[in-house]
Amino acid sequence: MIWLIGFTLLLSAVSGALVVFSRDPKRQVYAICANGLVLALLFFVLQAPDVAFSEIAVGTVIVPLLFLITLAAVAMHKKPQ
Amino acid sequence: MTVLAWCVAAWLLGMGVYGMVTSRNYVHLIGCLSVCQSGTYVLLLGIGFRWGAGPPIFYNHPPGTPAVDPVVQALVLTDIVVGAAMTALLLAIALQVHKRRGTLDTQHLRPLRPTE
Amino acid sequence: MTQRWRLVLLIPAFLVLATAAAAIILGLPAFGHPLTHYGTAVNTLAPALRNVSNMVAAVNFDIRGIDTLGEESMLVCAVTATVILLRGHRGEDGSERAGLIPGRANAARSDGMVLMCRLFATVVFLFGVYVVLHGTITPGGGFQGGAIAASSFILLYVGGGYQPWRCVLHSPVVVGLEGFGALAFVLCAAVPLAFGYAALQNVLPLGTWKDLYSGGLMVIVNIAVGVAVTGSFGVLLIEFMEETRAPKGHDEKEGA
Repeated sequence: MIWLIGFTLLLSAVSGALVVFSRDPKRQVYAICANGLVLALLFFVLQAPDVAFSEIAVGTVIVPLLFLITLAAVAMHKKPQ
Repeated sequence: MTVLAWCVAAWLLGMGVYGMVTSRNYVHLIGCLSVCQSGTYVLLLGIGFRWGAGPPIFYNHPPGTPAVDPVVQALVLTDIVVGAAMTALLLAIALQVHKRRGTLDTQHLRPLRPTE
Repeated sequence: MTQRWRLVLLIPAFLVLATAAAAIILGLPAFGHPLTHYGTAVNTLAPALRNVSNMVAAVNFDIRGIDTLGEESMLVCAVTATVILLRGHRGEDGSERAGLIPGRANAARSDGMVLMCRLFATVVFLFGVYVVLHGTITPGGGFQGGAIAASSFILLYVGGGYQPWRCVLHSPVVVGLEGFGALAFVLCAAVPLAFGYAALQNVLPLGTWKDLYSGGLMVIVNIAVGVAVTGSFGVLLIEFMEETRAPKGHDEKEGA
């Protein structure tokens, strides 16, 4: 148990750093997805299934999707007519 | 191990701040802000955790068995959902900035002035 | 301010932050040995007092229900502000089809994929409703179930593209869901006040342990939050998707 918690904590530290260091916003969306999954795993290990549920639905589906739509809208407005 | 969780929380906050300061794209900056936010989740859930305790849901094990703190979990749970709506608000602001100024580069954005 | 100056200013800021963080880390209790008594008290007392098995739901919807009411209004405020920002500048100048990023291929969808997306959208939506309804018994509840149900809308867009998405999701209906959920929560808080109780006091019969109806007023608040969260995320998705419409007068063949 102690190793599992330590491992997931270190994993979340790494995935958080990956979100910051993926400078291209298009790549960062996928880093955000992965970060959400790792965080959900960590919450599950920390005996918080409710929070893990919410993080999976919001952090890996809805928020990355909003980022993707924003980037698509920005790319479409880039060349106006 | 006794301080690892707190160190990870501080690390996530620090990484998020570093990313926001050095970011060259407004959308990337919003992603870094969400890293800062995840630091608070780790801190709160770490404070409530108890060795050898189960989840605070007494369905399969009867009430009275040791369980982790449900109050911090309720805090984090609502914050994730409200935080997502706040991220959406920031993304909407980023879209407006791009429409009005034509750029998302934080270096080229100047203080707000009325546009003609 | 140039990039170099930002980094130079960041160094003293990080020094201050690191000192503060070190002081706080050394002052916190050891990991796994919490000092808080509130959570322990909830775990000991709430199952017998409220007849529910999910303590997180009990804290969210009953014991600290007023806090959740505040969070819920923050959610509604954030969504309203987003909608105003996006709608206000957009106007009615978009065409009724999705736009295309220049130089990007627009592959046709196969019938099988459309069918699978429609099937899975239904399954995911029903799963969200299931999670909401069982919120007071097993892990889940209004916030999680609402988010899951809203994420099923995305599958409609993936499967059908813009037109079926707009046919199924009517903006006034989704906005109405959000407003109705928030209003129901406020009513749950206000109606006990009118009868001389405290706000959000659990005045309904508590129901049976491990039953679908357990927790009295908590069940209604839970469903209200689920409806409001589904509506909120649905509105956000609709309004952001509207931003990707093609400008008017585009070639009719473009768009998916």
